[in-house]
Amino acid sequence: MQELNWGLPVIGYLFLAGVGAGAYTVSASVLLRGGGGGFAHDHFNIARYGALLAPIPLIAGTGMIIFELGTFQASLAQGDVGLFFRWINLFLTINMSPMSLGSWVLAVCIIASVVYAYTFLTKDSAVGDDMTKLRRGLAWVGVPLGISVAVYTGILLGAMPARPFWNSPILALLFLISALSTGVAGILLLRALFDKHDKVPDAQALDSGQSTSRATYLLASSDVLLIGLEILAIFLFFMFAKLTIGNVSEAIAVILPGGALSTMFWGGVVVLGLLIPVLVELRYVIPTLLHHQPYVMPRGIEMAVCTIILLGGFMLRYVVVVAGQVTGPMGI
Amino acid sequence: MKSTMTIISRRELVGKIGMGATLAAAATAVPGQAKAAIAQRPVHYAMVIDARKCTGCHACSVACKTEFEVPLGVHRSWVEYVEKGTYPNVSRSFLPRLCNQCSEPQCVSVCPTGATYKRKEDGIVVVDSDICIGCKYCMLACPYDVRFINPTTGTADKCDFCLHRVSKGLQPSCVNTCQGRARIFGDLNDPNSEVAKLVATEPVTVLRQEMGTKPNVFYIGADHADENDLRVPGQYVRVDTHRPALERR
Repeated sequence: MQELNWGLPVIGYLFLAGVGAGAYTVSASVLLRGGGGGFAHDHFNIARYGALLAPIPLIAGTGMIIFELGTFQASLAQGDVGLFFRWINLFLTINMSPMSLGSWVLAVCIIASVVYAYTFLTKDSAVGDDMTKLRRGLAWVGVPLGISVAVYTGILLGAMPARPFWNSPILALLFLISALSTGVAGILLLRALFDKHDKVPDAQALDSGQSTSRATYLLASSDVLLIGLEILAIFLFFMFAKLTIGNVSEAIAVILPGGALSTMFWGGVVVLGLLIPVLVELRYVIPTLLHHQPYVMPRGIEMAVCTIILLGGFMLRYVVVVAGQVTGPMGI
Repeated sequence: MKSTMTIISRRELVGKIGMGATLAAAATAVPGQAKAAIAQRPVHYAMVIDARKCTGCHACSVACKTEFEVPLGVHRSWVEYVEKGTYPNVSRSFLPRLCNQCSEPQCVSVCPTGATYKRKEDGIVVVDSDICIGCKYCMLACPYDVRFINPTTGTADKCDFCLHRVSKGLQPSCVNTCQGRARIFGDLNDPNSEVAKLVATEPVTVLRQEMGTKPNVFYIGADHADENDLRVPGQYVRVDTHRPALERR
């Protein structure tokens, strides 16, 4: 087995940046969607969870990759403060390297997401308060920014012909969908953990059709769609690699039955992270979707589903990052 | 006014043509001046490695280590041993490796800080260790696995054709020490140089040509066999790299 140049810090970063960027994008979309009548408040509530969540994984993930820098590791060994802050060089220039563009987009996204979260932090934050203009402005900025951060993580890996496993345009799309899906899961998990209202959706709230569960229905049903698209993206990623010959076909063998990462990919990413959550969510979404019944998902199940979606998102990054490095071009 | 300008430019044109003709005549007449004219062209350093002459003595690996005080466990230049065949039809050959100083260097296009770049004046790909942050992106982008993190600086490092020697008119250290004269170094833009003649007249190959990097290290008689050739029935192939990551990447 070859050594990994990019290890756990990068895997964790790709996952956390995806969750943060996804949460920001989803929160901003839900806020901008608004909705008339009682929906505006519910959507605001959901947007608030997303806004408060987004900066945390973004900042934690970015802090994490610094551990992977050679200069940071050398600075620890030698106690050289100059080497410690060498990463500043990223922001003294800009070029067409995916990492350079990504650093700038990530920096802007972190700043915007922090200010966006701040607009929700006032005690009486609500629809139509003083912050509305700033909040909506940052939401409009947040949708493209979040998508850019999520897409760049895929381009970062996909830009190298020397890494045939990664060198696929679908990878950026896969990471974007996974980021949005894990962002939704993060928001739903936070709401399930901290929302004090409607612990058990009461009949009155259900009758009025305005309980937060209506708003979470929006997220859960979107998540079903996102996971469906993610399965499609994985199918395309896998099939196009399998159907070719040469470097890419050789590289994809690492996740085929018998490959070193096969169990984690099929068992962890596909079954645990995608198929089980999408089936459980469908079980609760379909009655509302087809028969207009009130949407009720037990809180325990909601937490479990969100947790395995997040776990699946992490394992996806793990498998992709490791598989790209243990495979390479054939021949010499 | 307009016509005057036309006349002037026409005069200049004629003058330039005359000067060019004089220069050309002078160049053909005086060999020294022709050499000077060649020196005006950008230098294009390249290396030819004649694998038929390599005995796998590792003198180049050792010379490189001492030249740059390369820390233990990492290598700027090394020699791979390629064994293949089944008895009695067997062969053992050697493949000296170093940075290919590619004309389309993938490491340069992914570097986020501009720390690694291809020098316009001689085509050598260098790393500025005062700028590099050690993100390892270039190490992943390089199809030849020639880059490593230097543990003392924490930055990316690799062969630079001994820039400090070459700029003083010396040969790279590995070329200087090669007892079989398997490594030949020179300017590909100079048609009279040994490398230019070898590249023009010998059946040279480069490593992983399909990567599109246009390497400037050329091999004569290199055995490109690796573990993938194990699929040939009855074939035995073993590649030793002598590096901590024993497998070739």
